Amino acid sequence: MSCDQTVICRCEEVTMSEIQETANRYKCSSREVKLRTRAGMGPCGGRTCRSMIDRLVEQVGGPSVSHEVPLSYRPPVRPISFGVLGGEAK
Amino acid sequence: MIDLVIVGAGPAGLGAAIAAAENGLEVVILDEFVKPGGRLLGQLHEEPDGRWENGIVEAQKLYDCAARLGVTILCGVSVYDLQQVNNGWCVYTTKQPFESKCLLLATGASETPIPIPGWTLPGVMSIGAAQVMGNVHRVKPGEKGIIIGVNVLSVAIARELQLCGVHIEGIMLPKQSLVSGDASKPEAMMESLLRLSHLAPSPFIRFGGKWVSPKLGTLLYPRNGFKMWDIPIQLRKTALEIVGDKQVEGVRVADISATGEVIPGKEKVVSADFVCIAGGLTPLSELASVAGCTFCYVPELGGHIPLHNEYMQTNVDGLYVAGNITGVESAKVARAQGTVAGLSISRELHALQDTADDFVHAAVMKVKETRRNALIQFQPGIEEARKALYEKYEEQAGKPISI
Amino acid sequence: MKSMRVEHHPILGDMEKQQRVTIYFDNQPYEAYKGDTIASALLASGVRTLRVHEDKETPRGIYCNIGHCFECRVTVNGVNTVRACVTSVEENMVIESGKSFATSSQKGGQL
Repeated sequence: MSCDQTVICRCEEVTMSEIQETANRYKCSSREVKLRTRAGMGPCGGRTCRSMIDRLVEQVGGPSVSHEVPLSYRPPVRPISFGVLGGEAK
Repeated sequence: MIDLVIVGAGPAGLGAAIAAAENGLEVVILDEFVKPGGRLLGQLHEEPDGRWENGIVEAQKLYDCAARLGVTILCGVSVYDLQQVNNGWCVYTTKQPFESKCLLLATGASETPIPIPGWTLPGVMSIGAAQVMGNVHRVKPGEKGIIIGVNVLSVAIARELQLCGVHIEGIMLPKQSLVSGDASKPEAMMESLLRLSHLAPSPFIRFGGKWVSPKLGTLLYPRNGFKMWDIPIQLRKTALEIVGDKQVEGVRVADISATGEVIPGKEKVVSADFVCIAGGLTPLSELASVAGCTFCYVPELGGHIPLHNEYMQTNVDGLYVAGNITGVESAKVARAQGTVAGLSISRELHALQDTADDFVHAAVMKVKETRRNALIQFQPGIEEARKALYEKYEEQAGKPISI
Repeated sequence: MKSMRVEHHPILGDMEKQQRVTIYFDNQPYEAYKGDTIASALLASGVRTLRVHEDKETPRGIYCNIGHCFECRVTVNGVNTVRACVTSVEENMVIESGKSFATSSQKGGQL
């Protein structure tokens, strides 16, 4: 199982085994997995892979899915240019 | 300042806009897709009386009604941030910021992925992507497809793709992995399918729905699966890998036991030029999270749900939710919830007369009735889960919100 | 190649006559219908690969088709990270596929 090269985070091409190994070695949360592997940090903001990261972390003995949203959402929730951020009309 | 900004022009957003505009509120709807209607656009199904329900027509009706009432509907606009400002909300978009007294999040759901080796190849797409391609854009996702993931959504959309002239080679389970969960278990998926049995033309599954327990069902039916609308549904086959060099060429398939274990020596590659991943839906609640809502994890409703009451109010001032962001259900339920939200917001902004409570109450009743009459139950236990959620809201009301 | 358009449909009916526009993808002209998204127009012409992964160079196409996953991001008239699936085509639109970063350390190149 630990050699599973299936891509979990499509944006950053982080594999199941990379996430599993990181969660195993550091006994860490989804957030720490994200910071260590970049899984969930691509242009989609983790929209596609966040539930899988949470489930993987839970499966290897990390915190189980609770009422709290494990990977917090931060603005901007869509990638935008500095121009848009600065108020430039599209 | 605008009275109400709505994020999402699906059935919930449009339904809310209509209710609010009917009571004289100034409403702006924002949506990032190219046309209004949301998930409703792709839907096409046959009612038990043989009538076809066409989502494009339904969406157009809602749009026309909202437009007639003076609602501003802006498509191709993405919301990237929200902020509470004095007496209202500021919504930051790729077009311009909008300030409003109340804000409704009707952002719907996103598709739950099932990672399979090879799923990044061009030609692999979510089942909803294929639905939109065929029914909305009128482009076939491919000529011959395999669907991975057996559930109510995948079977319904397989049928729609067939109507688009696409050949569906089969619907099968994903290979077991740490993240596949129930999706790779024949028994659990049979149970999910039995919730469709009243719609199915297959005598086997219709019989199953009435008399057979899911467990018996998976043991009984033939190894080669059974057919619904001539589409093979293969609960005893698993997709190990999607193969192809530059794009999809096929799927490596193995036989599995009733408990989901691969039976060795039975692997083969089935050719296909596209593959759909059908993992179900998850409420898309990122903006509710940014806004500071409290969340509840409710598997029956599809995942993390912003805490809200029956009136679609969250525990953040002036912030409402409606539609699939509050739990995955049919478009009709979303539409009815939208009406509740639109009326609740009208009440908050004192646009309703003395009979306000009666109106809102009637709309809440309508949601319950719609839910009971829904053709497709996405998950069992929706009504109970909602009741528990609303009780939790009441418990927390009055308490300070911790973010 | 054979068109992938769903010209006839037993329930939705025949496709109405569409106004045609020309778009350019990696310098090749393609015919599109007004109302198409970039993604639907290119798929109708058999184009499935819209970019390659920036590091690993794996080919990518549409995945969610409703703007959530950003897999179909392309450059449109010089603006990058534009989602092909939620962007309508316009006459003479110039679209470029997403390329890999040629000097990526992943490939042993120098930054």
